[in-house]
Amino acid sequence: MTGLILRTLAVAFFAALALLPISWMASMAFKPAAEWTSAAGTLTFLPKDPTLNNFRYVFTGNSPDQMVGLDRTVWRPLYASLLTAISGTLIAVICGTAAAYAVSRQRIHESIGLSLLQLRIFPPLAVMIPVMIMWSFLGMIDTWWGLALIYGIVTLPFSYWLMKAYFDELPREIEEAAIVEGCTPFEAFRQITLPIVASAVASTALFIFILNWSDYLIALLLTRKEWTTIPVYMNALATAASGQLYGAKAALGLLAAVPPIILGISIQRFLVRGLTFGALKQ
Amino acid sequence: MAEIQILGVSKAYGGVPALDNVSLTLNDGSFTSIFGPPGAGKSVLLRLLLGLETVDAGQILIDGVDVTRALPSERNLGMVFQNLALFPQLTAYENIAFPLRRRNVDQTEIDRRIETLAGILNIGHILSKKPAALSGGERQRVAIGRALVRDAGAYLMDEPIAALDARLRDDMRLELKRLQSELGKTFVYVTHDCDEAMAVADQLAILNEGRFEQVGRPEDVYGDPAMLAVAELVGAPRISVLPAFGDNDGMKFALGRLAGAKVKGECLMALRPEAVQLKPGGKGPCSALVTDIERLGAFSIVTAGRDGTQVRAITDGDSPLRLGAEVEITVDPDGMLLFDAATGARHA
Ligand SMILES: Nc1ncnc2c1ncn2[C@@H]1O[C@H](COP(=O)(O)OP(=O)(O)OP(=O)(O)O)[C@@H](O)[C@H]1O
Ligand SMILES: [Mg+2]
Repeated sequence: MTGLILRTLAVAFFAALALLPISWMASMAFKPAAEWTSAAGTLTFLPKDPTLNNFRYVFTGNSPDQMVGLDRTVWRPLYASLLTAISGTLIAVICGTAAAYAVSRQRIHESIGLSLLQLRIFPPLAVMIPVMIMWSFLGMIDTWWGLALIYGIVTLPFSYWLMKAYFDELPREIEEAAIVEGCTPFEAFRQITLPIVASAVASTALFIFILNWSDYLIALLLTRKEWTTIPVYMNALATAASGQLYGAKAALGLLAAVPPIILGISIQRFLVRGLTFGALKQ
Repeated sequence: MAEIQILGVSKAYGGVPALDNVSLTLNDGSFTSIFGPPGAGKSVLLRLLLGLETVDAGQILIDGVDVTRALPSERNLGMVFQNLALFPQLTAYENIAFPLRRRNVDQTEIDRRIETLAGILNIGHILSKKPAALSGGERQRVAIGRALVRDAGAYLMDEPIAALDARLRDDMRLELKRLQSELGKTFVYVTHDCDEAMAVADQLAILNEGRFEQVGRPEDVYGDPAMLAVAELVGAPRISVLPAFGDNDGMKFALGRLAGAKVKGECLMALRPEAVQLKPGGKGPCSALVTDIERLGAFSIVTAGRDGTQVRAITDGDSPLRLGAEVEITVDPDGMLLFDAATGARHA
């Protein structure tokens, strides 16, 4: 009994610890400018005078709280973030799944998995500076496709390795059973294998989308103005009059969590499910 | 309807031969068991027949047509995979219907065939369930159904009932045998259980280390094994193999002497347990102590021996023999098989 209480307390403690920064951000998002820092008095955890002005500010560029308007609203970075993160995810998931399937079934070129990792072996900055030079040479700086492409490339290893593990686990006899019954290898893949691994593809896609969505460094290096994404935009949220716009940043942070959550919930029924459960003897 | 001929087929993986120049004819409407220990190459042989792998050398003919390079779909063979390979996202019904849907069979015909099969395989009540909700035995029967639902030339089964419990296995093998004779189709049945192989087959093929050791009627393979390896593989309880020396007095071996030497000089003597008689008392030319008794109801398996040399015998279920008792060993001459000590070949 005491064991249970202690365990519950421990779990509650660590949960609170993990949630502290997020709850601080959530509370900050609803604070008026005067409460952002301790400059105007004491700092409280909950807003004394909750307001939606921070949200209004990032969406419209104006707020009763602020003397100066924002020269950019969140709409464009939001669009840029969604477009590049989704396209990058599609590239990584489609190419990674295809490559993983081919390597898993043909059992050739298995070293491809390791070579894909090279981008991840070095500190990100060490890789991204040469990429920046290449991208600028190719005229892909500050384009959505340039950013989407590099998102696809750097997350490809994850989709490859995750999907490879799933395909390796899926016995080839399941496809072969379809082939014996008259399917072509491609039909067997599309009609039999793909529905089985749909849940794995969904989990992989969610994971990769979150990676792309939360990227700061790559977008910072490869975009200038047109296609800056939410993290870059968020970091730049400051005015000469007010300095760092903490409340606006917090509001933006809260908003930025929405797409992954929506995505996660909408594909939830695909997540965490045994792949071949029931196909085999045991 | 199909006759399958395997002509000199070889297949190696990474230089290691899995099948080495094997030939076998499966007559139209025959029931052939391919029996062999794990790793013998049984599954590889079926995969080659199906066209899922290509042969390194040799030919495969179906009804006289060379299909060595033909696609799996062009061979018209049904298959039950060793691991079943059901489609997990489909219900049992849709699993079984899959081969028919691929061939655009109309729905009433699909219903009719599945109903018939469900009766035979006793799976009517589980057709709407997905494989995950089925027991091992039910899955196995669904996999058999998926293979049989289509009018294939021949049906290949890779240990189709291995996952079932013993009693169900006995029932199923009889059921398959009955089904085969009703359908009159060619069946190829792979198993590593020799009782099962013997029980169902018209033709028994012993595969060992990538070669057919012997092919023939089950009773011939059992009673007249060509090689020591075959004698050791076929038959349960296992045959006893003893180094022996034949001369005018009979066969001499570590436990004494047995009458009737068909071979002179050194050889390996294999004794079928049902041909060995153990009598209490130890006065004869060949005697030993009882070291083990397994009482199995209808019969008992008694092991007698001395100094590491052992002979197994089948005795009555209520055998009066006791552990440690001195027994006299006699052998029915028909149950004594002699093999060349060096090559393992049978002495005539
Ligand atoms: N795809 C493959 N790659 C490499 N080696 C293989 C492959 N398939 C089979 N082998 C080898 O070929 C040999 C025969 O294998 P096979 O699966 O036919 O055995 P089996 O007789 O079916 O045994 P079991 O009773 O265990 O199913 C084994 O040594 C196996 O390791
Ligand atoms: Mg096998």
